[in-house]
Amino acid sequence: MTELGSKGDGLARVSELYQNRHRRAKELRSQGKKIIGYFCSLTPVEFLTALGLVPYRITGSALEPITRADAYIETIMCPYLRSCFDKGLKGDYDFLDGFVAPHACDHIVKIYDIWRYYLKTRYTHFVNVPHMSDASSRQFFREELAVFQRSLEKLVGNSLSPHLLTEAIRLHNENRALARELYRLRKPDPPLLSGTEVTKTTVAAVTIPVEESNELLRGVIQEVKECHQGPRKNARLLLYGAELDDIAFTRMVEEAGSNIVMDDVCFGSRNYWHDVEITNDPLDGLITYYLEGLSCPRCYKPRLGTHQEDLENRLGYLRDHAREFDVAGAIVYVIRFCDTFEFDAPDVKDFLQGAGVPVLHIEEDYAMTSPARLKTRVQAFLEMIG
Amino acid sequence: MEAPKQKTTATKATETVKKVRQFVKTMYTSAHEAKAQGKPVAYCMILSAYDEIVRAMDITPIWNENYGGLCAAKRDAERFLNRAQQDGYSDMLCSYVSTSIGFDALRKDLDGMPPNAPDGGMADPDMLLGTGMMICDPRYKWFQSLGRYRDTPVHCYSLLWPPTDANLEEVMPYYVKHLTEQLRGLVDFLERQTHKKMDWDRLSQTVDLGEKTQRLWWEGYQLRKSIPCPMPTQDAFNAFVPAYFALGSKEALDFYQELYQEVKYRVDNKIGVIPDEKYRLLWGGGLPPWHTLSMFDYFQSLGAVFPIEVTYRPWDPVEVPPSVTDPLERLAWRFMKQQTFRHEKAQKGSGVPEVELLLEFIEGYRIDGVVMHLAQTCRTWSLAQIHQLNVMKQYVKVPTLFIESDIVDVRMYSEADTQRRIDAFIETVAGYKTR
Repeated sequence: MTELGSKGDGLARVSELYQNRHRRAKELRSQGKKIIGYFCSLTPVEFLTALGLVPYRITGSALEPITRADAYIETIMCPYLRSCFDKGLKGDYDFLDGFVAPHACDHIVKIYDIWRYYLKTRYTHFVNVPHMSDASSRQFFREELAVFQRSLEKLVGNSLSPHLLTEAIRLHNENRALARELYRLRKPDPPLLSGTEVTKTTVAAVTIPVEESNELLRGVIQEVKECHQGPRKNARLLLYGAELDDIAFTRMVEEAGSNIVMDDVCFGSRNYWHDVEITNDPLDGLITYYLEGLSCPRCYKPRLGTHQEDLENRLGYLRDHAREFDVAGAIVYVIRFCDTFEFDAPDVKDFLQGAGVPVLHIEEDYAMTSPARLKTRVQAFLEMIG
Repeated sequence: MEAPKQKTTATKATETVKKVRQFVKTMYTSAHEAKAQGKPVAYCMILSAYDEIVRAMDITPIWNENYGGLCAAKRDAERFLNRAQQDGYSDMLCSYVSTSIGFDALRKDLDGMPPNAPDGGMADPDMLLGTGMMICDPRYKWFQSLGRYRDTPVHCYSLLWPPTDANLEEVMPYYVKHLTEQLRGLVDFLERQTHKKMDWDRLSQTVDLGEKTQRLWWEGYQLRKSIPCPMPTQDAFNAFVPAYFALGSKEALDFYQELYQEVKYRVDNKIGVIPDEKYRLLWGGGLPPWHTLSMFDYFQSLGAVFPIEVTYRPWDPVEVPPSVTDPLERLAWRFMKQQTFRHEKAQKGSGVPEVELLLEFIEGYRIDGVVMHLAQTCRTWSLAQIHQLNVMKQYVKVPTLFIESDIVDVRMYSEADTQRRIDAFIETVAGYKTR
C-alpha cells in the first residue's frame, strides 16, 4: 500500500482526500488503472467497478471563481456544472480516461455534448436513464445498459459476466451500508460528527475505488465511535438539496449555531439510503434501483390519489428522516436554475411544515457568492426555531 | 386618460397568418364549449407525439405553452407569474410554466376564472398529459406541480431519443419500440378517462393527414429561400400554430395549402417583406420573446428581414419504414427520425446537429447574420447557444447577436438595451457585407 492508500487514517485521511481529491486517482492511473469521471447518482457505477475501471465522481468548487467556462456555456446553466466544466477547462480533469453522464436533467444532457467536444476525453458515454419506471421503461433501460456494457467492454477489451457485475453490486452495497452506519452516528444529541465532516467524507468517498472507499468509511466510523470529539449541542437540521459537494455551505450553517444531522442531497443520503437488490439477473436489481430506488425529483412517481397522497408517496421519506434524526428544522437549498428541484421546493416545504418541521427555503448560486447574506438568513431561521 | 397600449406584436407580411389570431381564439372557445357539452378537455404540451392521438379521441386540447405566449403578447402575464412566485416557485422557472401554475392557483383562489383572462382563459381540464422528455425538464414536473391546485388525473410518459453520438443502427429499434409502448399506455389512459375506445382506423387517417400537413408546411418554407424574402420569421411565429396545435385536422392542412399558395405568389411576383431588403438574418435559436415580437419591426426599420428560423419550424420530411402500418408505431418512427434527422451528418461533420441545421440555413437562405434569443427561464432552448455559435464559426464567418430577455416575462427585457445591440449588430453585418 502506498502512503496515500494507508489504512485506518479516518478523518485525517478524509481531509487529505477532500483537499487533494485528484491525487489518488492520478496515482492509480500511473499504475495502469483507467479513471472514468461521472456526474450524478444516476450513473450505474457498478459496471465500471465490475470491469476494473475506477469511477470518479466529478466535483466543482463553491469557492473557485469561474473564469473560463463563460466563453463556452451560458450563465443560466446549472452553476454546479459550470464550475465542474470550468475546472475541466483548466486541466483539472485531464487525468480522466473516460466520462459518463446519465440523463439526469437538461443541463447534464447539454453539458455531455459540450464536455466531450472541448475536453476530448478519450471515452465518453451517455446513459439515457428514463424518468419513468413502468414496464416498457424498464425494458428500455435494460437495452440502454446493454449498450453501455458493450461500450465499456470495448474500452477494456474484456467481457463482463453477470457474476462479476453481481460482485460489483455487492461492493457498492457494502459502501452504501457503511455510509448508512456513518449516518447513524449523527442520531445522538449532539451527533458524534458534524455535517461538515460528513460532507467531506461522502465527497472523498466517491473519488477513490469502492474498495478503498469502504476501508475509508470503516476507518472513519471506528475513529468517530472510539475517540472523536464531536460538535456541540446545537439546533438539529436536515439539509435538502442537489449537488452540494462543497463544505462551504454546511460549514457556514453549522458555525451559525446548528448541527446538520441528516441530509437528502446528491453526495449524501440520496446515494446511500437503499441497496441494489441482489437478483439472479443483476440487471433486474440495477434497473429497479436506478429507476425507483433514488429519492430524486427527476425520478417521476405517477400520481396516486389526492395531492396529499401524492406528496406522501413522493416525499414521505423526508418526514421519516426528520423524525428518525430528531430534527428541529430543515433547510431546502435549491441551486439557482435547477428546474427539477425548483419545481419540487414548494411541495417539499409544505410537506415538511405540515409534518411539524419548520423550513428555510433558499434559492442560491452553487458558489458562495454572498455568504454574509446567507448567514443572516440562517441565523434568523435558527432564532425562529429556538 | 388611459395611456395608449403599446404595440407588442410584429407587422405581418402575409395575409394567411393574420388568420392565426382567430384560430387561437377559437382554440380557447372550443375548449369552453367542449366543457359545457361534457366533452373531455386536456392540458397538453407541444412536441409530445400525441397530437393525432388526442384528436382521434375527440379530446379538446388546451395548450398551456400557447397560453403563456398569449398572455405575454397581451402583456398580461405578470399577475400569473407573481402568483406562482408567491407560492415559492422560482422566477427562473420556465415562464410558460409559471404562467400556467399562477393561472390555476388564481383559479383556485377565486373559485372561478381569473377576471379578464386573455381569450377567456383556459377551460377546466379533465386530464393533464405530460412527458418525461429527452429535454425540457418542466414537461414531467409541470403537471405534477399543478397537483397543488387541482386534483386532475395526470398521465406522464417517457419520450426519449438517442443522444447525438449514438450508433443509430444499434439503438433505434429499441427507442422506437419504447415510444410505441409508451403511446399505447397513453391510449389506455385516455380510453379509461373518456370511457371510449380508440378508433384505430380513424387514428391512421388522422396520422395520414398530419403527415400530409407537415410535408406541405415544410415545402412552403423552402419557398422562403427566394430573394426578396416573401415571408419573415414574425409570420412564421404565427404560422406554426396550426401544425403545433391542430395537427391532424383539415383546418391545419387547409391553412398550409393557403399559405403555400400565398408565399408562391409572392415569390413569383418578387413581393418582399420590406421595399429595401438589405440584410437577411437567421433566427438561430431560442424561443420567441412573445412579449415584444415588435422587435422584428425594429430590425426591418434597419433593412433587415428574417427569411427563416430554427425555432418552431416544420419537421424535416422523414420516411417511416413502409412495412409499418400500426399508427402508434408510425408515430414513434416519425418522431424518432425527426429528432435524429441530423445525428449522422453531425457525427461525420461538425459534431453538433444544431450546427448542421444552422449551416444548411445560412447557405440555403443566403444569410448575412445569426440572431439568438437567450430566454432566461428556458434552459431547454437557450443552453448550448454559445457552443453552437462557437462551432458554427469554424465553418462560416457571419456576425452573431445574442438578445437576452425571456419568453413571457417582460420584466427581463430592456427595449433600449436590445435596440442598441441590434443597432451595433446591423452595423457589423453591413461591414461584413462590404468586405
